Amino acid sequence: MATGFVTPLYNKRQRRNTITKFLSLGATTFGLTWLVLILIVLLWEGFSGLSLRVFTEMTPPPGSAGGLLNPIVGSLVMTILAVIIGTPIGMLAGTYMAEYGRYDKLTFFVRFINDILLSAPSIVIGLFIYEVMVAQMGHFSGWAGAVSLAVIVIPVVVRTTEDMLILVPDTLREAAASIGLPRSLMIQRVAYRAARAGMVTGVLLAVARISGETAPLLFTALNNQFWSTNLNAPVSSLPVVIFQFALSPYKDWQSLAWTGALIITFAVLALSITARLLTAQRKTS
Amino acid sequence: MQSAGRRAVVDVALQSGTMAEAQQADRRKVLQKLRMSDVIFRVLTRTAAITVLLLLGAIIIALIHGSMPALQTFGFSFLVNESWNPVTEKFGAIAPIYGTVLTSFIAMLIAVPVGLFIAMFLTELCPKWLRRPIGVAIELLAGIPSIIYGIWGLFVFAPFLQQYVQPAIINTLGNVPGIGNLFAGPPYGIGVFTAGLILAIMVLPFITSISRDVFEAVPPVLKEAAYGLGCTTWEVVRYVVLPFTRVGVIGGVMLGLGRALGETMAVTFVIGNAHRIAGSILAPGTTISATIANEFTEAVGDLYTSSLIALGLILFVITFIVLAIARYMLIRLNARVGA
Amino acid sequence: MSSMAAYTVPTVNNAPINVDGLSDKVSVRNLDFFYGDHRALKSINVSLYHGKVTAFIGPSGCGKSTLLRILNRMYDLYPNQKATGEVMLDKDNILSSSQDLNLLRAKVGMVFQKPTPFPMTIFENIAFGIRLYEKLSKSELEGRVQHALQRAALWDEVKDKLGNNGQSLSGGQQQRLCIARTVAVRPEVILFDEPCSALDPISTAKIEELIDELKDDYTIAIVTHNMQQAARVSDFTAFMYLGELVEFGETTKIFTTPTDRRTQDYITGRFG
Repeated sequence: MATGFVTPLYNKRQRRNTITKFLSLGATTFGLTWLVLILIVLLWEGFSGLSLRVFTEMTPPPGSAGGLLNPIVGSLVMTILAVIIGTPIGMLAGTYMAEYGRYDKLTFFVRFINDILLSAPSIVIGLFIYEVMVAQMGHFSGWAGAVSLAVIVIPVVVRTTEDMLILVPDTLREAAASIGLPRSLMIQRVAYRAARAGMVTGVLLAVARISGETAPLLFTALNNQFWSTNLNAPVSSLPVVIFQFALSPYKDWQSLAWTGALIITFAVLALSITARLLTAQRKTS
Repeated sequence: MQSAGRRAVVDVALQSGTMAEAQQADRRKVLQKLRMSDVIFRVLTRTAAITVLLLLGAIIIALIHGSMPALQTFGFSFLVNESWNPVTEKFGAIAPIYGTVLTSFIAMLIAVPVGLFIAMFLTELCPKWLRRPIGVAIELLAGIPSIIYGIWGLFVFAPFLQQYVQPAIINTLGNVPGIGNLFAGPPYGIGVFTAGLILAIMVLPFITSISRDVFEAVPPVLKEAAYGLGCTTWEVVRYVVLPFTRVGVIGGVMLGLGRALGETMAVTFVIGNAHRIAGSILAPGTTISATIANEFTEAVGDLYTSSLIALGLILFVITFIVLAIARYMLIRLNARVGA
Repeated sequence: MSSMAAYTVPTVNNAPINVDGLSDKVSVRNLDFFYGDHRALKSINVSLYHGKVTAFIGPSGCGKSTLLRILNRMYDLYPNQKATGEVMLDKDNILSSSQDLNLLRAKVGMVFQKPTPFPMTIFENIAFGIRLYEKLSKSELEGRVQHALQRAALWDEVKDKLGNNGQSLSGGQQQRLCIARTVAVRPEVILFDEPCSALDPISTAKIEELIDELKDDYTIAIVTHNMQQAARVSDFTAFMYLGELVEFGETTKIFTTPTDRRTQDYITGRFG
């Protein structure tokens, strides 16, 4: 009676199941292997070029020793500017979508377009800013670089702001309304405070995203071999320097490229981990 | 307790009559003042929202404006011309378009099945304690900037392929009649195939996490019902999970495709930058983004620059369509799950 | 201030109430309420009296919470909801479009089913509302906060930890914090929407005690699905069913000799 269960069909099903189980395990191993390989090489090559000099000296001409000071500073400055420009716009837009206009048509369209902008090729953003700023101004500039990064920041912040504000329970809003709080104050003093961790996370994720972006900077901020504090002229940045150095035939330049890559990856990972810790904290509170 | 009660009585006594009226008047004044800032804030947020729409419009307009010279000079032939000659100023987009499409195709061919299998592993087979670490690892992979993939591809992956993998492919698949030409040619290391592989590794974490998220959204009761009938894990995934999440998975795949089409740095390092359509996928080629990245800063002459911008316009249109379809599918998914 | 209205005191099903010396704080007249096209409340007529507690009882979905939320126009926050008719608060029709909503909500406070302290310190939770309308010195503000917490019977438990986060209190304490917050803004009417349904019996008893203490100074309306609570706490009771106000009268009367068959069935547990 029980033996009637084990038919050829049953065996075939079992075999198929076992095969797919192995496939999925294999796929996971496959995926993880690449991560390990990439990280190992990155650490190996990057660390071997790492020294204090990297942070204190400027980019050298080929053949001599040097560091990455100006691209690091340039990246930092443009990133900070991009965040200053892009975050307020993104937050305000996200606030409209979650609070005032949650159910209206405008929000539907903005959400749709915003999600497309979120995944748009960043090189196209670079071309856009080139047309709008560089071509008009007649020269490359750090400002153009910062603005192109800001255009990448905006959709990220819009998305996270809207998502986080929607998570704030309506009862909290009603409680604020019930003591006579006008809408804008209810948003600023209650909703923002409740969604604070999530919104900060959004900014961190945006920073992580633009830290590694090369394409939009290629023809906006261009590159600068020397130390410059003039944002109205080309400014060097870490990703562009890596691009230039890695494709060159010079060994010391290539080594610096790896070190720069390590620095960027480290920064991106640190930001992502911080963002993750913030959301975890929010969940437990 | 006593004094609290007494204080309350005093409160009420003070509240009735003129005190209450004065309080009302005061409150009205405060609210008048607040009204202006209330309106300003609302207008500010609405303007910011509209700005997002305007941004998209501005991008499209700027791109069209920049490509005008090229489009006017070449017209439709721009799309099908294979030549790319800065000297004679003859430009055609077909080689970059071909490269973009082919590398993305190779990438999706690999990343989609692998990603789905990893998602299946994570949701059905993986022991609970392992789920979080692997999930984190996948996100680490997603967070690595593309330029890192680029230099890793150039210095590590391409040489490896050139030495071991590509000769093997050429010697085996290259000799198969019919499709043999696809795998012919000297093992360059860099090339369309390599770029496709790197793209696959880049897109993989993306597809995995979206698939995993939609797989997890399947109501446990549905799966339990299937298991209860005696279905194997694979059968549950194939007959319950996948049909239920089909729209979401396709949406995620389209999103991954959109990413792959627009990817610049990972591809530029390893594609070889040859403006032609070769027969073999092992040969060098170029993609739209790689072309722009490599040549823009050295482009002299309006027609050259304009042609590059026209390439950018084409890329934007292609990705826009793909992403719009993806968004549409995901909206349909949310509607279905919500209903 | 006794009622000067010429209309008869609204009593459905003709159970007369003695309204001598009672002041008509809130009068609802011919109120209809719509969710989209669906008519959720049908021709409601009822009054709330100062210094008294009015309870609204009825089975789930009868519209009692809906009615309460009209009294401070909370429904205005959402689309597709509208009310027709009149709701008079003293001499103003609060349903009119010229009514300043923020002013209304400062006059008509609400305590919700789920305790919702703001994500701030205990002190800030109370001070927040006060600061909105009044410029007070530090000591005046502290005095007001203390007073509000005392009225909510919470002062002794939190006086040493005013700097703690409001969300760190227990459920019953959080609800009393919400009551203190409401009282601090000096409303004239307080609406309680099932204030104890998320709380344990001991906290529930404390809050019922609180309502009894507060009622002398305010007009109080309470929605509850717990009939015993309504009987304990209220002076007047309104029974609602399927969007209609079926019966309204003094609490003792409603619970001992209801005039309508439906009221009797509900009270004896036949349904709901």
